[in-house]
Amino acid sequence: MVKDYNKEHLLKELTNEELMTSVANGELDSVKILFERHHIHVFNFLYKMSGDSMLSEDLTQEVFYKVMKYRSSYNHGSFISWLFTIARNSLKTHFKKNRPHDDLENISYKLANENENSSEEYSQLQLALAKLSASDRELLLLNRFQEIKYKELAEITGSTPGAIKTKVSRALKKLKTIYLNEL
Amino acid sequence: MKISHEKIKTLLPLYLEGVLDAEEIKLLEGHLTDCEECKKELEGYKILSKAFKEEEVAKPSNNLEIEFLKALNEEKNKQNKVIPLRKKNTENLGFKNLIRIAAGIALLIGAFMMGKMQEAKKADSELALLRNETLKIKETAMLSLMENQSASKRIRGVNYIEDFTQPDEDILKALTDRMLYDENTNVRMAAVEALSNYTSSKSVKMAFVNALEKEKNPSVQIAIIKNLVRIQEKKATGPMKKLLNQEDTQPFIKEEIKKGLPQII
Repeated sequence: MVKDYNKEHLLKELTNEELMTSVANGELDSVKILFERHHIHVFNFLYKMSGDSMLSEDLTQEVFYKVMKYRSSYNHGSFISWLFTIARNSLKTHFKKNRPHDDLENISYKLANENENSSEEYSQLQLALAKLSASDRELLLLNRFQEIKYKELAEITGSTPGAIKTKVSRALKKLKTIYLNEL
Repeated sequence: MKISHEKIKTLLPLYLEGVLDAEEIKLLEGHLTDCEECKKELEGYKILSKAFKEEEVAKPSNNLEIEFLKALNEEKNKQNKVIPLRKKNTENLGFKNLIRIAAGIALLIGAFMMGKMQEAKKADSELALLRNETLKIKETAMLSLMENQSASKRIRGVNYIEDFTQPDEDILKALTDRMLYDENTNVRMAAVEALSNYTSSKSVKMAFVNALEKEKNPSVQIAIIKNLVRIQEKKATGPMKKLLNQEDTQPFIKEEIKKGLPQII
């Protein structure tokens, strides 16, 4: 027990990348620390993207399952970029699977609107975010809540840091207008 | 440097993000002091920024962690299942497998050697066939060269004998003919030298005896006498004695015969 405690204590001092590398090398227990560190972020990203907490729990579960399953394909780059790339793809795949004729943009938006009278309680900010395009919403969520740097954002979305900066600026401007109008 | 109002407007949303560099911040703050519109805009971003900060972090249910730990255990079990299997394999690699591997290697080497041997046999017979064919070609060439009008070509033909370890009767006959009847001294000389290696053949011995009777050229005579003495051909004594008694025989030939005759008898 003491040994286990020490081991976990040591693991907690490792960086995300060090932990993920050890997972990739077969130390599956390290994934527990990564889960503890990041599952709330992943869940919040998915929840604010979709407005559906049940779905977000399922997808968060799926994301960490994929981290374990595809551990050997981890490229030793930024773990956060890798993790949110998986989260993003899981969300996209989910929407494509369930409504193949609809565009991701429309679905997320509709979902947020449909849920306005349901049991989910949204903040004003979340409702304003829901009115943005999915790609704008995604950028702001990753950037503001997850504190993901522009460099990593560029990696996740397949863009450049400079382009991301411009996009974030425009998205914030749009959001400000929506948000202030609804107050 | 005066910066445009439009440019400031694109920087403004990022001001509170903390991603602008020092120069951009300086320009922006300078602009804000005398632009009411931008000042108002910034107030809006401040409200938005506050909203972001105050946004509650949504909490997933405990179910998520429980499900995750379950999935982790399953994945670990999958991993563990692989390890004992591997262990078993390495343990069994003891005696039985060692014998199997050894047998496999033995079979492989055996098959390889057998194949190699057969290959060698085949190659040998092919080589022999090829040699035989070249010899036949050579023989034809040799025989035809010896019939050539040019003396030098006839000599070349005679010298071909070096390539034959066991020349047949045809070749020996052709050579003795050269020795006996060729009009050119050098060809006859070459034939004597060529035939000196095949004195075990009766026809060659007889040819030497006949040649001694016929030959008029002293140097060829000497070569023939030396050969006859070497093989101790008794039949040669008659023609030798005859040469001794002839008056036109060169003195040094008589000397050679006088030296050789006692060795034969």
